[in-house]
Amino acid sequence: MSLVSGPGRGGMTDARLPRELRLFVDKHVSYIQSLDTRKDELEYWLTEHLRMNGLYWGLTALHLLGHPDALPRNEMLDFVLSCMHESGGFGAAPGHDAHMLYTVSSVQILATLDAFDDLEERVKGGRQKIGHYIASLQNPATGTFAGDEWGETDTRFLYCALNALSLLGLLGLIDVDKAVEYIQSCQNFDGGYGNRPEAESHSGQIFTCLAALSIAGRLDVVESDRLGAWLSERQLKNGGLNGRPEKKEDVCYSWWVASSLAMIGKLHWIDGDRLASFILNCQDPDGGGIADRPGDMVDVFHTFFGLAGLSLLKYPGMVEIDPVYCMPLAITKRILEKPDVNS
Amino acid sequence: MTQYSEDEAWTDVEPLPQDDGGAHPLAAIAYTDEYNEAMSYLRAIMAKNEMSERALDLTEHIISMNPAHYTVWLYRAKALFAINASLHEEIAWLNPTALKHLKNYQIWHHRQTIVDKLDSAEGEIAFISRMFEADAKNYHVWSYRQWLVRRFDLWDKGELESTEEMLKTDIRNNSAWNHRWFVVFGRDDKVIEDQQILNREIDYVKAAIYMAPQNQSPWNYLRGLLRCAKLPASTMKDFALEFASLDKPDEVYSSHALDLLADVYVEEGNAKEQAAEALDLLAKKYDPIRANYWNYRKSLLDQPNVVA
Repeated sequence: MSLVSGPGRGGMTDARLPRELRLFVDKHVSYIQSLDTRKDELEYWLTEHLRMNGLYWGLTALHLLGHPDALPRNEMLDFVLSCMHESGGFGAAPGHDAHMLYTVSSVQILATLDAFDDLEERVKGGRQKIGHYIASLQNPATGTFAGDEWGETDTRFLYCALNALSLLGLLGLIDVDKAVEYIQSCQNFDGGYGNRPEAESHSGQIFTCLAALSIAGRLDVVESDRLGAWLSERQLKNGGLNGRPEKKEDVCYSWWVASSLAMIGKLHWIDGDRLASFILNCQDPDGGGIADRPGDMVDVFHTFFGLAGLSLLKYPGMVEIDPVYCMPLAITKRILEKPDVNS
Repeated sequence: MTQYSEDEAWTDVEPLPQDDGGAHPLAAIAYTDEYNEAMSYLRAIMAKNEMSERALDLTEHIISMNPAHYTVWLYRAKALFAINASLHEEIAWLNPTALKHLKNYQIWHHRQTIVDKLDSAEGEIAFISRMFEADAKNYHVWSYRQWLVRRFDLWDKGELESTEEMLKTDIRNNSAWNHRWFVVFGRDDKVIEDQQILNREIDYVKAAIYMAPQNQSPWNYLRGLLRCAKLPASTMKDFALEFASLDKPDEVYSSHALDLLADVYVEEGNAKEQAAEALDLLAKKYDPIRANYWNYRKSLLDQPNVVA
């Protein structure tokens, strides 16, 4: 999956008005399908370190649009498994080092493709291997997780660990209580959470903290009124959301902020119609794809998070997303409600 | 530009092209060729785990084209340590590289690894200031700065002053506000009990609010102070009234002041109607996009002893 931006730009220009403000489903589907044909562009190669994330974004976007089979399953499976290391971790592309960020994307893709059995068939003990790789990155003293052997820590990685391990049914491999304590230590004076204790509150990090707490079944430690107030304050007059106070709006926060609000039951505290209009206005109505804000180049990252936001807002015709896993709800239900999982 | 295939220093290496499963570029531009050639040599020496000067040269070349390639950074760090390369030289190279690639974050963990090994923060704060001239809200740089302060005990080494300078430049810089909180209160839980420091912070935040009454950051800071010092909202009643008063509903200079006043009225117990009025103004006039939130706050007024 290429992460090349463009070629189109988001935004309905005056010349195109009056155009009905709607979701251009078919355009987005073909935009995503076309991404992998752009290997003659430098940016295709320069974004190789995000390839696995890109595949997860593209595949999940297609599911949300109701076109789950628009990409070839076997090729995706081959690609994902070709990025797996002996350690059980996954790299972003073949030959790239293993890292938590790509490991969680890989597990999410395998889950979405209903391919855990394929994994076991092709990599004996694959599920356990992945689980042990992730568990090895937990710091037993603090409860937090490193991204790889080099030790950078971030609440993002902690969330990735809980996300992937719960999908694999292997949460028992880690100290969940310690991880929860760590998240609590990241709460700031303004009610938000950062990537480490006392780091600035940031909507993306708040998403990771709330989703990790949801998986741990510990949302009870959240001061949801105060946090919800901070999160809802992220909506600007144009309907878009920003990530921190006094920053610009960006389509990707349609996901980080809105999903966080959804997890604490406060999504209605922002104006959903205005947010949906903002996202729809970031579409390229001709070539498909969504940009960070009107007038900018579209890319798969913003396409996915824009669609994820719309799905959360229950935009008509879209497949429902799970705010905790950022995957189609029907898929996480299928996996998590299996009786043998997490037992 | 270097062509590794024609360079004598690289004749012993057989480049390893990427097997990406797809067709090769049909209309590859020159820059793509340069990048892909360099990558094929990197794959070849990584396969042999070669730790050498030329490995550093090669990673430098690739990073100049693609600083986000995390595997290249990791390999470079391994090679640096393995051959005992000069870490001061590494920092000297990292500086312009970071300034050139402002959005890149892989570079900051690399820098942290190097500076940790160097065991010296000399020049770091000065360099961070240069980064902030280009992007004063860079999350990774602020995160790195917090690490530096803790790792090298820089709490009293001008952090508060330089953060104040940044807020002078932009009073709306939420990252700088967060850093101020970190510098003042992050070292020790007991600081909040120091009346002198608490008063200094309250004075500072009030002055900032006078400059920009609708600025979210200092209001959040003020709320944080009240909360941590367990002070009631009513201690700020007169201050809030300077920006918003129910007597003059058309002259509200700060929705945050109105919000605070609503809590003050709740605290006063016998003023629920006024609290409702303040919340109504927010829902209908001053912050209607969050009307549901303000209405929720209003619904809490019917419950006993609740301050949202």
